[in-house]
Amino acid sequence: MSNNFLNIKSLSVKVDDKLIINNLSLSIGRGEVHAIMGPNGSGKSTLSNVLAGKDGYTIVNGAIDFSGEDLISLEPNERANKGIFLAFQYPVEIPGVTNINFIKTALESNRKYRGLEPIKPGEFLKLIKEKSKILGIPEDRLKRQLNVGFSGGEKKRNEALQLLMLEPSLAILDETDSGLDVDAFKIVADTINSTRNKDNSMLVITHYQRLLERIKPDIVHIFVDGSIVESGGPELANEVESDGYERFGDAK
Amino acid sequence: MQNNLISKNFNHSFLNSESLTEEREKAFLNLKTIGLPNKRVENWKYTDLTSITKGLEFKPGKVDIEILNKDLKGLVVADFEYFIKNKDQYSKPTNYLKDEGVVYLNLSYASDARVIEIRESQSEPIVIKITAKGPGVTFPRLKIDIFPNVEAEVCFVYNGGEGFVNQLTEIHLGKDSGLNLYRVNESSSIHSETFLSYLNLNANLSMVNLSMPKNKSRFQVYNIFLDKHSSTDFKSISIPSNSCHDDFLIQNNHISSNCESNVGMRAILDKGVICSFQALIDIESNILSSKAEQDCKAILLHKEASMNAKPEMKIFNDDVVCKHGTTIGSLDKDQIFYLKSRGLDKKSSENLLLKGIVKNYIPNNSLLNNFLPKAYQ
Repeated sequence: MSNNFLNIKSLSVKVDDKLIINNLSLSIGRGEVHAIMGPNGSGKSTLSNVLAGKDGYTIVNGAIDFSGEDLISLEPNERANKGIFLAFQYPVEIPGVTNINFIKTALESNRKYRGLEPIKPGEFLKLIKEKSKILGIPEDRLKRQLNVGFSGGEKKRNEALQLLMLEPSLAILDETDSGLDVDAFKIVADTINSTRNKDNSMLVITHYQRLLERIKPDIVHIFVDGSIVESGGPELANEVESDGYERFGDAK
Repeated sequence: MQNNLISKNFNHSFLNSESLTEEREKAFLNLKTIGLPNKRVENWKYTDLTSITKGLEFKPGKVDIEILNKDLKGLVVADFEYFIKNKDQYSKPTNYLKDEGVVYLNLSYASDARVIEIRESQSEPIVIKITAKGPGVTFPRLKIDIFPNVEAEVCFVYNGGEGFVNQLTEIHLGKDSGLNLYRVNESSSIHSETFLSYLNLNANLSMVNLSMPKNKSRFQVYNIFLDKHSSTDFKSISIPSNSCHDDFLIQNNHISSNCESNVGMRAILDKGVICSFQALIDIESNILSSKAEQDCKAILLHKEASMNAKPEMKIFNDDVVCKHGTTIGSLDKDQIFYLKSRGLDKKSSENLLLKGIVKNYIPNNSLLNNFLPKAYQ
């Protein structure tokens, strides 16, 4: 039996009538970190949205198996509660809902799904303060409305905070490094990296090798026109950094 | 014979009141000429009052006006006698609203009134409950004077009734005064309120309106900026009961320079509900440095819910900063997906988003929080 807990087999996805993901196969084992690099418009974010269950994508072929279950048949909330977490490239603003209330609601939903008792208010507060401190998030930002008026960097830190709080088994990071200044980048990347363990996996989507210096991937995939055209070790990221994607069939 | 509420059946019964006869007679003649509003009147295009009151019997109803904390220091409360002694104040609204049938109707028949002078700043809100009882037609009149340099909070709560409440409300704000006004409408009557505020130099009026009518409701607001540096901030949340009707009109008349007006409306509309938002910013040619905003967002929870929005700007000079925006639709799909991607199911996601819309205007520490349906508290 395979150690893989995410298996994507021959996946093809259309948006309207356009094929965005084209016969993609990818397997991620427990505890592994995979990186996907590729030019703009190659379908990287589409893949992350499909894995998280966003509407608007038509799966024309293939299957996705997550921990022995057919992922495609699950609602986004079921996927989340089973351990999939998408750190959004562009997190949306939710006016009127405080950050802390939202994270508590999400955590409780997750615990309820797993048959756990609700977390005690005092424990939750202690936990979120502790995690916020690690990420350099001031306490008053927890009381602000979710992502409303946050800078790009603040939104990305907030995504990382949710990741720390929800402890997913598969974290999909969709360009989490974009919008972060140098210091914030280091904090966020190192904090996410610290969550690695033998049971948790990551799929890191990025344009830059600098993120992969801090979250060292086991495997790097080059994604062009909706398919993986080459896979290799971290040295592949170095090559992309110096030579671009031309060799892989994208001369844009 | 059924004596229905249509203009031709209005009579001179007000003469029995033996007070303000001349003022009433004049108002009555105007009412007869103008008639009750109907959908041919632009400002009433979404509420045909003539039609919706047609089946009502024109007989006096009963309304209680209760001021819960009238003994506060610095508060002087009077009843209808005030207008008998101050006749010039009785018809004052018609100086600004010359063609408004519901105002003339109120002036013809009004007999229940409260006049509250707030002479000192208040540390606790003044709560005024207006409760209609049973069928019939009532004409409550409220006038609140905020003295110069005074800060206060006032809360209106409307309830009850099976008939028609035609209310007239005026707020006078003295120089450098400020009023935080809260309004809760849970009336089961057909409820029409005409609200005028008169703002003097550097006065500020903030209002949060929580409108949850159990029948048909019309709330029309006219803010009159009598002097410079005055400002208004109106936020309205509309959550009508199923199949009810809620119509909000607001006109900010910038007749002085350096004034600011903000209007925001949020509506959450379920089955059979019709909601309307008409907002006018009126800035005359000689008025400088005005700021004005309008913003309306309506969420239709059901295919049989509908929203009418008519933002208007009449601006006759360039020295203004104005913006407006209106959106009508269902909840944002990207927001729902974001919440679902964190483990919340569809229903919980929708409820959280709706609660967020309400909380944006009525936070937990607001006076109005306790009046909200449980789902939004």
